[in-house]
Amino acid sequence: MNAVSTIPEQSLLEAIPEKLGVSEPWAQKGGVYWLASDTLNIRDLASVMNASHARFITITAYQMPGDQGLRLEYHWDLDGKVLGFSFPLAANSFESIYDLCEAVDWIEREIHEGFAVDFTGRDYEPLLLRQGDTPGVNLRKPASALSGQEEVKK
Amino acid sequence: MGPYHPALEEPYKLDLICEGETVTDAKLHIGFNFRGIEHLAETRNYIQVIALMERVCGICSNIHTLTLCQAMEQLTNQTPPPRAQYIRVVVAELERLHSHVLWAGIAAKLMGFKTMFMTCFEIREKVMDVLQAISGNRVNYSMNRIGGVNRDIDDPLAVLAMIEQLEREMVRTVIPIFTTSSTARSRCAGIGVLTNQKAVSCGIVGPTARASGLPQDLRRAAPYAAYSEMEFDVPVQHDGDVRARLLVRALEIMESCKILRQALTKMPSGDINTGEAKIVFSTGTATSRVEAPRGEVMYSVSWKENSRNPSRVHVRTPTFANMPGVRWMVMGARLADTPLIQASIDPCYSCTDR
Repeated sequence: MNAVSTIPEQSLLEAIPEKLGVSEPWAQKGGVYWLASDTLNIRDLASVMNASHARFITITAYQMPGDQGLRLEYHWDLDGKVLGFSFPLAANSFESIYDLCEAVDWIEREIHEGFAVDFTGRDYEPLLLRQGDTPGVNLRKPASALSGQEEVKK
Repeated sequence: MGPYHPALEEPYKLDLICEGETVTDAKLHIGFNFRGIEHLAETRNYIQVIALMERVCGICSNIHTLTLCQAMEQLTNQTPPPRAQYIRVVVAELERLHSHVLWAGIAAKLMGFKTMFMTCFEIREKVMDVLQAISGNRVNYSMNRIGGVNRDIDDPLAVLAMIEQLEREMVRTVIPIFTTSSTARSRCAGIGVLTNQKAVSCGIVGPTARASGLPQDLRRAAPYAAYSEMEFDVPVQHDGDVRARLLVRALEIMESCKILRQALTKMPSGDINTGEAKIVFSTGTATSRVEAPRGEVMYSVSWKENSRNPSRVHVRTPTFANMPGVRWMVMGARLADTPLIQASIDPCYSCTDR
């Protein structure tokens, strides 16, 4: 049996914003270390996460009020800490990181099918979710159902 | 193979490409049990949503409500009392025992070891008896609520006596057969290998990851409930084959018994919940993770102030992370071994499809 490391090296966590060229520090909220920046690029982020030996957890898609589109939140685990990165989607497409991070395959496919987001730069296999044969019918709400909703901030 | 096949009583489909009896590639298809639970959650209030998420899975039902309640506690700024945290540990470990023994029975059946299957299911019934004695229920225990638990364990030492009896039976039957039996070894060793490198790149979690040499366990790395006060080991094996997964779960059964003994003997007195009659949510998103029997479960929950319903509940289940790894496990395997290989990750399609 092996012992499990419990505390991440703080310097590793602190080095991530610098590697990404982000001046803002981590903000801890809702059980997650958030790094907010308008200049974050998902593919650079995936490369830095790989180099830091962070484990990809999941992507959560949020449908914003009215015609504001969607928001994607990416989560990685770094030795027990959850790291979060939020990306607003003006259009219904976003760069795939499947070629950099194999673990995103199914969740990118699920969001593609549930919310009709097109992750560019990858091929899609047949539907994961059997209900509904058109992307976007399972989880995406019609715009009329979203009118008047306020944005939920992280 | 599938979507309905003799390996498991749950639907999923494996498209296998073979050369003779050897599998050269596989494609996985899920979604046959899709119920739209995440969407339904947005139509339920903060009490109803707990009951709804308890039904994501029929085996680890408690884990889903625990993870959800921990996320909702962040949004309502509530901290469960110490006794509630201990009760959460007890129920979570009983659920792990229940899940691992159930899996051991199914694995035994797939190995052609029918007597062992019956023995495991007999023990599993006894674990469910303990859960029934605590909660009044055998499947959906309804133990968790925002700010604590719904039911107390009135006599922890009586439960401890039941656990010790269970442990004796497992030490006498299940553990030696799975750890030392030549039948189990010959049927499981060297098949369905998931290399450490592949486990890392696929983001594999839980016992499947630990059987490929990854020492990750949220109970240790990011303790929740009262796990920071428990002493236990995290079993890790390095071969990455079916036998390694078998050994990890067998050893985890013993570690669960160790945790249960500590939780039941050290359980502090006091309240079992915060007793808040009015629950007030703040606007925001909270994330919670728990080490379920199959691995990490993560909930992201969004709420708007003054709303009774969540704006979004996203569930990442362990099988959703582990299933893509099955493709790499079956490549190069004999066709006859594929049912056992895919069962070795202890998949739950009910969780995966939601």
